[in-house]
Amino acid sequence: MDQIYLPKNRIGLPIGQYVTILPLEVQLKQKSVFKPYFYNVRRLEPLKIELIEKIFNIVEQIKPENIIITGSFLEKGFRFNDIDILIIKNDKIDYKKIQDKIEDITGIKTHIIGLSSDTFFSGLSIDPLYRLMISKCVSKKRLTFKLKRNLNYKLLDYQLLKSDVLPDNFDFLTGDEKYYLTRSMIAILLFVQNKKLTKKTVDAAIESTFKISVKDIKENFIDKKGFNKIYKEIYNNVSELILERIHESK
Amino acid sequence: MNRNRLLAAFISHITNMVVHQILEKAIDSPEIAQSYKNEIKNSLTIAKSYRGRIHPLDNALPSHDNREVRDKIIREVRTKLGRRMAKGYDNIDISLIEDFVDKALKDMKVIED
Repeated sequence: MDQIYLPKNRIGLPIGQYVTILPLEVQLKQKSVFKPYFYNVRRLEPLKIELIEKIFNIVEQIKPENIIITGSFLEKGFRFNDIDILIIKNDKIDYKKIQDKIEDITGIKTHIIGLSSDTFFSGLSIDPLYRLMISKCVSKKRLTFKLKRNLNYKLLDYQLLKSDVLPDNFDFLTGDEKYYLTRSMIAILLFVQNKKLTKKTVDAAIESTFKISVKDIKENFIDKKGFNKIYKEIYNNVSELILERIHESK
Repeated sequence: MNRNRLLAAFISHITNMVVHQILEKAIDSPEIAQSYKNEIKNSLTIAKSYRGRIHPLDNALPSHDNREVRDKIIREVRTKLGRRMAKGYDNIDISLIEDFVDKALKDMKVIED
């Protein structure tokens, strides 16, 4: 017969009282229900939700202000390369140990960005690519997106310059790289125009501007001449919009 | 792969790198300056990968090629920075262009040291 030992001196459990015996793990799981916040994530595979729960449990040990999962991991299917994790914590710490632990447990390459709350919110207000990244995410705590945009034209000029190389490198870039550079350029345009910035709005703008599906861009089924012509035109327009007001960024 | 396309891709990355080097010196925000530094490294790495595919790494490019590459990069960097200066971007020092271009091309053995 199995036996359970109870200490003789105990409170709230008198001799003769009927009790239920449960494994401690089950009891703890029932007490803390995992309820993350989903932003523009319509559906996520159950396996990914389990992984997110594991990640949150590991990161919780360093008591962060918030934990945010973003990037290709949240896209449908399992084509992601790594898991992007933003850890909002006001004290500076070395995230290497946390990263190693997550990689050990999940077996997936992990990319951690550690930010203070101030840097996080300032990034959301000045950086279109950052805002785009956070527009689709899963977070431990609720996030506020209603932050006023603060246009720093020198930062935007820097970010746009990265996309400058696409036409001359067209033959050597993969579809994903072309999509990334095009997406950055369009995100900057929507940010400057004070339009809604989410992956969905950016993809819709790409498709209507270039008359090609995002899927075809990613798979590199692109008509070079037509694409480059539109790309250069848009690039010059966005660049002009930024440079017209560059003197405002001191 | 077409050699002219490789040259065009190589030129675009060296141009991008030199523009970033000069803007990094012009900018007063340490955060953005750091981003420029990261992008300089990135452009350099990509340019190096193209360089090896254009011509053997232990030999400089033929003289007619290297003159053309150097002139084109200088012209493009000047145009990109000139546009910014015309719009009021301050502290851009265009006198640095030739030195930065020559250093990059020597480091990559496009021109002789």
